[in-house]
Amino acid sequence: MSTAGLIAIAASIAVFCGIGAGISIGLATGKATESMARQPEAASRIQTVTILGAALAEATAIYGFVIALIMLLVYKGGA
Amino acid sequence: MSIGERLTEAISPRNLFDINVFGFKVPVSDTVVIMWIIMAFLILFAFIITRNMKLVPEGKQNLAEVIVDFVNSLCKSNIGHSWKLFAPYLGTVILFLAFADMIAIFNIIPNWEQLYDLTHIEFLRHLPELEIKPPTRDINVTAAMAIMSIAVVAIGGIIVKKPSGWLKSFLHPVPIILPFKILDYFIRPTSLCLRLFGNILGAFIVMELAYIAFAPIFPGFLSFYFDIFDGLIQAYVFVFLTSFYIAESVE
Repeated sequence: MSTAGLIAIAASIAVFCGIGAGISIGLATGKATESMARQPEAASRIQTVTILGAALAEATAIYGFVIALIMLLVYKGGA
Repeated sequence: MSIGERLTEAISPRNLFDINVFGFKVPVSDTVVIMWIIMAFLILFAFIITRNMKLVPEGKQNLAEVIVDFVNSLCKSNIGHSWKLFAPYLGTVILFLAFADMIAIFNIIPNWEQLYDLTHIEFLRHLPELEIKPPTRDINVTAAMAIMSIAVVAIGGIIVKKPSGWLKSFLHPVPIILPFKILDYFIRPTSLCLRLFGNILGAFIVMELAYIAFAPIFPGFLSFYFDIFDGLIQAYVFVFLTSFYIAESVE
């Protein structure tokens, strides 16, 4: 197999990070909705914490994306 | 030209011209020029919107009060009693990032060549080519923003707690936590920088693909999500996380 093909497969594996981020943001938002329905008066605090959690969980997906991109661009640069 | 080449050309910042500073040649890329445009616009906007303010707000003053109230309530609820020290910085950053992330929707102006054909002003032909793309797709910009944020976290901690109290806070619950507290000062800017960069670059690549694939109308609908919504959310998240880190360092 050629180097380009191997790098393409490696980049696509790196993007699999997105699975974890998707599941975790879904869980966090679901729980937040549940707790907001139970206690509407605490909605603003719950919203704050949810955004924080989603932002932190999303970072893993972004790292995967950045790593995939770096692999592709570095190969393009002639490595 | 293949799609890959077009994408690579679109996402990499282009060198427009060089300026001489004390004998060093400093290259100026298009991201820097777009940031200058945003800064000039924001300064002008702030001057116009806060001219002859009245006790009872009307017209443009309402807009100014909404923005200031939003930033102040964000700082109050996250930072606590010393929020007044940090509200100006956080407000500046959220305004700048919101405009920087959303500026791709203004990429409708004709380029210099077309303007020359319309107006026949010779000067326009000699300007370097400039396309309006979000400057936050360049990792250098987001890294600078993240370093500024972590500097504000450290300096704010020193000002609020006094230097001795700030140094003691490294050993706060148990002394064994010291290496992790020091590592925090390197991990947090890295994650702030990569989060903003990755999100904006990802949205930018998707929009670029949409422009290539289905040109006239459909990208407009995608633009609502990828340019406006995503940009605003990421600007908010950046400022929110910065205020969260500040709260942790000054409490």
